[in-house]
Amino acid sequence: MKKPVIELKDFSFRYKSQKEFTLHDINLTIYSGEKVLILGPSGSGKSTLGSCINGLIPFSYDGEMSGSCKVSGIETREANIFTISNHVGTVLQDSDAQFVGLSVGEDIAFSLENDAVSRPEMLKKVDAVAKIVGMDAFLDALPYSLSGGQKQKVALAGIMHNDVETLLFDEPLAALDPAMGMAAIDLIDQVHKQHNKTVLIIEHRFEDVLYRHVDRIILMNDGRIQLDTTPDELLRSDILKRNGIREPLYISALKNAGIRFGENEHLDSIDELDFDQYRDAVTRAFQNVALSQPKPKGEKIIEVSHVSFGYGHERLALNDVSFDISRGEKISIIGKNGAGKSTAAKLICGIIRPQKGEVRINGKDYKALSIREIGRMVGYVMQNPNQMLVKDIIKDEVGLAMALNGFDEAVIKERTEKVLRMCGLYSMRNWPVGVLSYGQKKRITIASILVLQPDVIILDEPTAGQDYKRYTEIMHFIDQLNREYNITIVFITHDMHLAIEYTDRSIVFADGECIADDAVFKVLSNDEIISRANLKQTSLVTLAHRCGIDPEHYIHYFIDSERGE
Amino acid sequence: MDQRLFINLSPGNTYLDKLTGKTKVRLFFAFIILLIATWDMRIIFPTLLVSVFGLYSLKSKLKSVRAITVFVILTNLFNLFLIWVINPDYGATICGGSTVLFQITSFYVVTGETIWYFLVRFCKMMATFVAAMTFIQCITPSELAAGLYANKIPYKVCMIVSIAFRYIPDIMRDFTNIKISMQARGMELDSKRTTLWQRLKQNVLILVPLIITSFDRVGNIANAMDLRGFGKNKTRTYYSEHEDGKGDGQMKILYTALYLFIIVVIVLRIVKPGEFLVWYPFQN
Repeated sequence: MKKPVIELKDFSFRYKSQKEFTLHDINLTIYSGEKVLILGPSGSGKSTLGSCINGLIPFSYDGEMSGSCKVSGIETREANIFTISNHVGTVLQDSDAQFVGLSVGEDIAFSLENDAVSRPEMLKKVDAVAKIVGMDAFLDALPYSLSGGQKQKVALAGIMHNDVETLLFDEPLAALDPAMGMAAIDLIDQVHKQHNKTVLIIEHRFEDVLYRHVDRIILMNDGRIQLDTTPDELLRSDILKRNGIREPLYISALKNAGIRFGENEHLDSIDELDFDQYRDAVTRAFQNVALSQPKPKGEKIIEVSHVSFGYGHERLALNDVSFDISRGEKISIIGKNGAGKSTAAKLICGIIRPQKGEVRINGKDYKALSIREIGRMVGYVMQNPNQMLVKDIIKDEVGLAMALNGFDEAVIKERTEKVLRMCGLYSMRNWPVGVLSYGQKKRITIASILVLQPDVIILDEPTAGQDYKRYTEIMHFIDQLNREYNITIVFITHDMHLAIEYTDRSIVFADGECIADDAVFKVLSNDEIISRANLKQTSLVTLAHRCGIDPEHYIHYFIDSERGE
Repeated sequence: MDQRLFINLSPGNTYLDKLTGKTKVRLFFAFIILLIATWDMRIIFPTLLVSVFGLYSLKSKLKSVRAITVFVILTNLFNLFLIWVINPDYGATICGGSTVLFQITSFYVVTGETIWYFLVRFCKMMATFVAAMTFIQCITPSELAAGLYANKIPYKVCMIVSIAFRYIPDIMRDFTNIKISMQARGMELDSKRTTLWQRLKQNVLILVPLIITSFDRVGNIANAMDLRGFGKNKTRTYYSEHEDGKGDGQMKILYTALYLFIIVVIVLRIVKPGEFLVWYPFQN
């Protein structure tokens, strides 16, 4: 009989500041050595459940609790967070904020310092865990020089000291590019197997987690456990979409081809699927469809030609880059972190200027224009809406850019109202900004940029940290702006799904160079580009290969059929 | 992004760099207290020389302090000039005596005592500044925290120090991002095109999102620290506080001697208060 590590019985929880309970009647037992995925959309209560398990509730967040929550046999409300953290190690979502040390070694040592471990012993322990996560060569590195993936490895190392039984990962993929995300899932799997830990992963990116085997999945929604089952059974059902979780692409593709999965099939890894029985159905569905033709291009708005740029004496951040953007296009700029995609966006907005080459906006060299003047032609929406919102009332926020540009009251009022209507915010125009949800705030930041009637809007990671439901909401809205008002949209992203579903053309950056500029389906079916840009090959490519179809055509077909829905 | 001012984040390789945080903190306070306690050029001048030598020994980082050194020298000189403008015979009250060297008008005279006082005052200020610069340049924020803790400061206070330094670059990066996005929305921050008052008002606008995002971050940091047992015990150890080296032994002798000397200086000033504040070698 396996030993239970985490046991929740009729457990409910309500935050002190909220009226409604966030968790209702949770009954859950997790056994020693299991690897469990807690899956659910934002607001489903999955993070709250995590906080109950690691002791942040009730230690840091007050509230009302009923039922029982035992961790390694300890009733959490009777213990303190320090006792619980000897049993459960947590890697938080924000890999930057949880890096409290000023060097890798120091951060890994943080819990040892708090335990007052003597320094010689501390050094030995730090070295040992740094080796497990592969950061032993970076012990002196500063946090500012590390990638998100490296910071996460450090965070993992920092909780491995006390021989904790359970490792809890809160949205480990949120800040990572696709290749780093795969590496993270790999590392978690390796630690789970080699060190015999119980692993809990809280995530909403189902397909990415499934990159390595998971024993059990707890599907959460509305504060309740909806399903407690194996990956296979979950994939077979159609419960995922109903709960705001994206199905793995290959599963959607197969289901779209009219395939019904049998009882005993292993679905959680595309490599284990037996394609002999699907090939005919997939090929048949694919052959009967005519592929869409590319839209005719509008006039060129932005032309970047042979631009180079470097910060200080470092390697060039952009090296002889050329591309252009035409009216009405939907473009994704993709590539790994630090590849130059953010620098390219800053270049277009005039925040940095080319050291070599030139940028033309609407046919004119933008050399003589200030950031403010460029801002009226190219709008930039930052990743975190909280970094853009400065006013108390929605309509003031939306009108701010016009007020700053010195327009008349009457014009401001008229245009603000028009934009508020476009964005579906008109009925909320007098609401305070503070009460809005993240998605609504995002919408307001977009509105506050649109009010200047720019030709292009650039959105930096528009869906970072968003679950599928809110993601779809935001993206539908942006898509609609493009369709109905012919606004040119540029996304900076490392989300492959976003590129596939919502853009027509991809510009790919790697090491400061523009390595591809082509239709999305062409870019994503090119293995060389995928690996150079630290992207992840979509499962559609594997599926196409296994069915003996050309991947480029297949992705094209898939995009068409998804958009046709 | 190099927005770290002249704070030193990774330990260097020189003699001073290699000392432990504890030794660095003790040495620094010995110098500062000594400089505050005395107006005696016979003490101040050697202290200045030692401080300059200390700063010089960290040579790799000298470039970063050049601008601020020039600034400090100029402000100090200006300060002395203002004192002279208000009371040209200031030295008389301090050194006792008034040896006129030359006269500009009947009021504006230059006396040997005033010049001597100004010299002492300038050396004292510069010695304090150079000692502080040396200290800042050779200590990392983590060593500072460890050093303060070794000197009986509660570790929660020490943690505030190192956490502040850890997140300053992040907050500055946020500030730059927010500023740029506001500029793109039409905020004019060019000093040629707007008034100072306008710019001040607009900078306040930037602070709103900066404070909100910083609060979010503080919550996350606090959780991360709680989860890793911060505040669990009464004592704590430090990863950055290495074992005493050869230099620490030598410096221990130095700072012990300095502290004893400080006690002597202070006791002497209480027991045998001189008539005048500043020792003047050219007394008639």
